[in-house]
Amino acid sequence: MRKIQSLISTASAEFRRNEARNRELVEKFREKQEEARHVRPKRDLERLASQGKMRPRERIEKLLDPGTPFLELSSLAANMAYDGESPSASSIVGIGIVSGREAIIRADDPSVKGGAWYPHSVKKIVRALDIAIENYLPVVHLCDSAGGFLPLQSQVFPDKHMAGRIFRNQSILSKMGVKQLSLVFGHCTAGGAYIPALSDYSVIVRGTGAVFLGGPPLVKAATGEESTVEELGGADMHTSVSGTCDYPAANEAEAILIGREIVAQWDRPQKWPIQREASEPPAYDPQELYGILPDDIKKQFDMREIIARIVDGSRFHEYQPNYGSTLVCGFANIWGFKVGILANNGVLFNDSALKGGHFIELCDQNSTPLVFLQNITGYMIGRDYERRGITKDGAKMIMAQSCARVPKFTVMCNGSFGAGNYGMCGRAFDARLLFAWPNHQIGVMGGDQAANTLVEVKANQMRRAGDPVDQATLARVRSETLAAYQEQISAWYSTSELWDDGIIDPVDTRNALGMAISVSLNAPLGEKGYGVFRF
Amino acid sequence: MKRSQTPEPLFRKVLVANRGEVAVRVMRTLHAMNIRSVAICHRLERNAVHARFADEAFEIRGNTPVAAHLDADQSIALARDCGADAIHPGYGFLSENAAFARKVTAAGLTFIGPDADTIDLMGDKISARNFAVRHKVPVAPSVQAQDDMASFVEAASAIGFPLLIKAAAGGGGKGMSIARDASELRERARIASSEAQRYFGDGRIYAETYVEQPRHIEVQVLGDGKGGAIHLFERECSIQRRFQKIIEEAPSAPLPETTRAAICDAAVRLAAAARYKNAGTVEFILGSDGRFFFLEMNTRLQVEHPVTEMICGIDLVRVQIEIAAGCGLPLSQAEVRAGGHAIECRISAEDPDAGFLPATGSIRLLRAPAGEHIRFENALDEGQRVTADFDPMLAKLAVWGKDRAEATDRMVVALKQLTILGLRTNIDYLIRILESMAFREGALHTGFVTEHAETLAPASVDEPLRDRILIAAALGQRAFRDAISAVGEPYASMAGWRN
Amino acid sequence: MPLHLTLNGQRHSIEIVRRTPHLVLNVDGRVHEISEWSAEQVGRMVNQNEAVVVSRALVDDGGRETCFVRIDGRTHEVVLIDPREDSAGHDSTRDEIHAPMPGAIISVHKQAGDEVSRGETIITIESMKLQTALAAPRDGRLLDVLKVAGETFDKDALLARLEPADEA
Repeated sequence: MRKIQSLISTASAEFRRNEARNRELVEKFREKQEEARHVRPKRDLERLASQGKMRPRERIEKLLDPGTPFLELSSLAANMAYDGESPSASSIVGIGIVSGREAIIRADDPSVKGGAWYPHSVKKIVRALDIAIENYLPVVHLCDSAGGFLPLQSQVFPDKHMAGRIFRNQSILSKMGVKQLSLVFGHCTAGGAYIPALSDYSVIVRGTGAVFLGGPPLVKAATGEESTVEELGGADMHTSVSGTCDYPAANEAEAILIGREIVAQWDRPQKWPIQREASEPPAYDPQELYGILPDDIKKQFDMREIIARIVDGSRFHEYQPNYGSTLVCGFANIWGFKVGILANNGVLFNDSALKGGHFIELCDQNSTPLVFLQNITGYMIGRDYERRGITKDGAKMIMAQSCARVPKFTVMCNGSFGAGNYGMCGRAFDARLLFAWPNHQIGVMGGDQAANTLVEVKANQMRRAGDPVDQATLARVRSETLAAYQEQISAWYSTSELWDDGIIDPVDTRNALGMAISVSLNAPLGEKGYGVFRF
Repeated sequence: MKRSQTPEPLFRKVLVANRGEVAVRVMRTLHAMNIRSVAICHRLERNAVHARFADEAFEIRGNTPVAAHLDADQSIALARDCGADAIHPGYGFLSENAAFARKVTAAGLTFIGPDADTIDLMGDKISARNFAVRHKVPVAPSVQAQDDMASFVEAASAIGFPLLIKAAAGGGGKGMSIARDASELRERARIASSEAQRYFGDGRIYAETYVEQPRHIEVQVLGDGKGGAIHLFERECSIQRRFQKIIEEAPSAPLPETTRAAICDAAVRLAAAARYKNAGTVEFILGSDGRFFFLEMNTRLQVEHPVTEMICGIDLVRVQIEIAAGCGLPLSQAEVRAGGHAIECRISAEDPDAGFLPATGSIRLLRAPAGEHIRFENALDEGQRVTADFDPMLAKLAVWGKDRAEATDRMVVALKQLTILGLRTNIDYLIRILESMAFREGALHTGFVTEHAETLAPASVDEPLRDRILIAAALGQRAFRDAISAVGEPYASMAGWRN
Repeated sequence: MPLHLTLNGQRHSIEIVRRTPHLVLNVDGRVHEISEWSAEQVGRMVNQNEAVVVSRALVDDGGRETCFVRIDGRTHEVVLIDPREDSAGHDSTRDEIHAPMPGAIISVHKQAGDEVSRGETIITIESMKLQTALAAPRDGRLLDVLKVAGETFDKDALLARLEPADEA
């Protein structure tokens, strides 16, 4: 493979302008993250301390092997919901190493409303378990939650992918032979009690941990029976009488130590033998990514420059270099793992759609995971293209991508609009992990385009009614549309709604993908096969 | 000296009535002389090195291992039963027990050592002292214990203080103490007498002039039993703790030639007068004024014999066997040549930083020093338990150099190479002594260890060294090492990355 | 979690920071790169560009792991603290001896005020024709024994107590 030759000038005014803007964006991202991760009401922190409890991030740090990475997912979940009452959706999820083994760790955050589950919390937890299922990834639950956030129970309880899905996923994981460990640091009440009960192993902290379908107040109200938390569902009772939990721990530190010892007993999964070479960092400085991404979503840039700052040695074997030039396809290594990359250099035409579909099949045949770097406004539209079957060609690309059995990973590098999102493995298409950069925007179409379209529709409406075309009304339609889109197409909104697995600093993309690819190898490759391609 | 082609061995089979490193050392010479060796060991030491090293080994019984080794009749019976024609007693145990020597001879076996009468003569410190006086060997003014304490104290006080109180039947530093005035004398004499009764079965004590800052100088002698005797020069054993030697050297640290000659001559005179047979050592104390006094004569091979062997190029155990077999002395005084300087350190299981308290444990790691001019006399196995059953001395390390400075440097290197881990030892302490200015200048006396206690204390551990120690300890733990190797790629390369 | 050790009575901690290309450790907050080390009992260790030969022996003495470390003619004893022992801390289960099943006291071997060591038998009980020895959960002094020989008891009955230990 040959090293990509970078054609940008890091000294140019444009580079400097982009860099300034992107660094500012990343700084804003870091500020939001810092707040979501660490800023809590003093009263809540004091209460935790008085209960002898560690903060959930402290628990995670002690659980993880020292000197190992932790890939946190969706740190800004719910950042634009509930008036910010549920930072990180009251939940911490990430992939890390425990006793030498990969695991997905999910922790309730008792410093936010006692760890109560908001609708976004449930979505985040279900997503964590979906990741576990798709990747055969063991789970460690750090339980400390007051249960469902009752005022929003209709969005937490009844539907298919709400709270019940957590327990369904746990059961399926167990059926698949993927292990789960629960460390019970606080109360696991009602539904939450099923998490340790459905885990293969559970450790419970004496004095603060408890598991019961109904807590003392509920029991008293229902049957008149009086009991203490310890008597009803405490560590000693469950580990010596009912057998609901396996190990009592004197304190949180001991619980974590026991948990690590438990994980140390687990067998290591067989990974399927992906093509692998010695790894090396990119030849170009990843920090240069800041200077490459333009400050305007409509401005074009060459994805090869992005690829050069992510892959090993900046080396890339480009496939069909002269055909379908708006889609860059090729092979590269990321942390030594061989991957096939698809990246957008403009809208998708017939040739680029066909190229994409073909390349996806090649990678599928070669057992090469796919990495999609999205910057797409859509497929080309127009009479000429329709006659040439652009819709068919787009469909074929979607068919190939949907049916591919190799793991897929998506990074929203910039825009992700319309059907382009689909072909390039958007959220609905089961990427094992999907990340977004802070400059990312996502919508059925761009804000301007939507505004233009709606203005055109309004104008037509007025004309049909025989009214004069009122510019003020049109201006209002334009500005309102733009405002709504502004909010809802931003990366902050997308990540808040968990349409992605987290915003990441572009510079972190290589490590995030490296870890993602590594964990994806635990799941066996499925059977190869596609549906019908409309030729 | 006689030389022969494939000579008949001087003895058919020798039973070594001892254990540990001295038994191995004696057997090494036996093997070289083509004499079969027999070891005795207590059940607790069934797999000991000395038992494995011998051609044959037999179990001895006793309530304790020491008691078994002190059972004269048992050892002699074993020797007779296995067809041994001689017994070598080593040092300690029964080596200076005249009754044992007599029994051996009575059983028709050769006792490799002096005659029983000589052992008796020199074994009783008071009779030895009187013998020395008779033969013009200088002795420290002394007073023997009288029937009543009062006249003893009066007579002793007449000599003058300070006085050293010693047990008549004792040795090896036991039952000794210093009195600086009459009341101390009264009290310590009483204690010394009861201690002597307990250790040696004989409560007689005597008091003699205590020489301040004395040097302990001893002379290796060989006698043919017919009045002929030679010396193999002197050894200095001034570095002691609790009256027991820890570092010995040959020749002594710087000493006027005339003094040296006088001491050696006195020793030979004594040995010849006693018609001494086989190897023995005459011990003296030397004051800073040049006066020396006879202390005692040890009628056996000494622990520190290797340093004499190294400077004279002679195998003393071989000489012992030859004399016992009737070959006479190996050379004349004129033929004895000494070259270079040798030092020996006694390696003991004890904690010098805690009053030399004996230490117990298991030898988890043993690495012996190697190289030219190094002798590591030991009977150690990695994994062996060190208990309170036997003496804390584990081994001896002896080195030779062309002069005292070279020998000292070589000893320091060897001690640093010598590694015995799993229990506390005095190895590091010995290094500190040898690296001290006072030792290198030869400013030796028997109070050396006490005088320099502060400078000999271990230096404090600075932060870089402390970190290094902690890291080394952590890497010694299997679980810690596993935690390092348990993490594969790409995680190991990403280290503590967070997003 | 870091490894805790004591040297000369002082507590220290070591944590792994990085494994490749070289081992990097954090000792009490100070970062050390160890470019060479050996798992053998005698081996070279290179730290901050200084090479030393390290001799090591581990002694496991009744649950207490001590590492003898010798560097350049000086021997040091480092106690490796068992994290489970360390974190368990003051725990009431370590102060009390409860009956594992209903039964009767056969004999009481210790009395209030006695110093006991971990694992030492305090009481022998009999239940279902089986005799069981109940041992002290840790070193300490016995506060009281609440039953005498011949007395019967139910499961989980409190039979004996240790005086609370001082925090070390």
